[in-house]
Amino acid sequence: MHWQAACSALWQSPYLGIFLTLLSFQLGLFLYRRSGAQPWLHPVLVSVVSLCGVILYTNLSYERYMDSAYFLSQLLGPAIVALAVPLYENFKLLRRYWLAFTVSNLVAGAFTVGLAVAIVALGQGSEVSVNSMWTKSITTAIAMEVAPGIGGVAALAAALVMFTGILGSLIAPALFKLFNITHGAAQGTALGVCAHAVGTARALEMGSLQGAFAALSMSFMGVLCALLLPFLA
Amino acid sequence: MLKGITILLAFFLGGEFIAQLFAWPIPGSVIGMLLLFVFLWRLGSLPPALKSAADSLLPFLPLFIVPASVGIVNHFYLLQQDGWLLVVAMVLSLLLGIPLCGLLMQRLLKVRTKRGAE
Repeated sequence: MHWQAACSALWQSPYLGIFLTLLSFQLGLFLYRRSGAQPWLHPVLVSVVSLCGVILYTNLSYERYMDSAYFLSQLLGPAIVALAVPLYENFKLLRRYWLAFTVSNLVAGAFTVGLAVAIVALGQGSEVSVNSMWTKSITTAIAMEVAPGIGGVAALAAALVMFTGILGSLIAPALFKLFNITHGAAQGTALGVCAHAVGTARALEMGSLQGAFAALSMSFMGVLCALLLPFLA
Repeated sequence: MLKGITILLAFFLGGEFIAQLFAWPIPGSVIGMLLLFVFLWRLGSLPPALKSAADSLLPFLPLFIVPASVGIVNHFYLLQQDGWLLVVAMVLSLLLGIPLCGLLMQRLLKVRTKRGAE
């Protein structure tokens, strides 16, 4: 028997990265469902943290992992295009609310992004950190495509969006109560602008109106920032 | 579903082509998404093939962002350097941004409803 040769062939396999990604994601899904959909146990977070652990504590380098998992990354582009479908389906809801929706997105989006970028810039953060912060109000998938083009880092942008998404989903219900924000469309829009995909999942739990508006403002902010940031930042 | 995936890829490649053609720094995928949205809007209905492709692809969107996110292992120095600053920036912008957005939208909706009632 050739244990060593077999093990090393397994470790060198071009499918290893894909397999580890799927495996860690399954673990994430399991924990997320088991916990009753706790935002801080989001499958992406669990998956990324465990994969980082594997890369840091074994001799598997990120480059070799990515050579294999690259296949999964490539599907991101067509999946972003597919976001047009739910956008189209939700779009008719805007007919009644479009003005309030557009104004709130523009004002609140510019405010949260501007504030976050200003704090990092004034606090003498590195240029890469400032540039990656610009994409904080874009949904992760689009943020990762925009960040490298404006001098940021895709992975840091993803980490920041993920962090805002999880924290935003956790504190939003308390803030809604504190400030007496009761309208479903307003709650959904606030979650979509500030907490993106994780917030949209949270908004869907509150109701379908909240969910639809969170998804709408997530797409709106994503597209708007993707179109404007390369020329502004 | 395969038909829908083919359509999605066509719009994606079209978006990439346009981004290259005009040398725009905008991601081709976002241009493709806008093109598809305009296409659906003009069409006025959602072809079932496209619907089933989107429904089968979109639940995996979170999975597709994992590999590039793991790249943070090569940028831990950034988190060590600016970690607290980034956390403060995000917490503050959330604490102020969520109420601002929610209250603003709620106020605007009320103004509109009042006008409608008059």
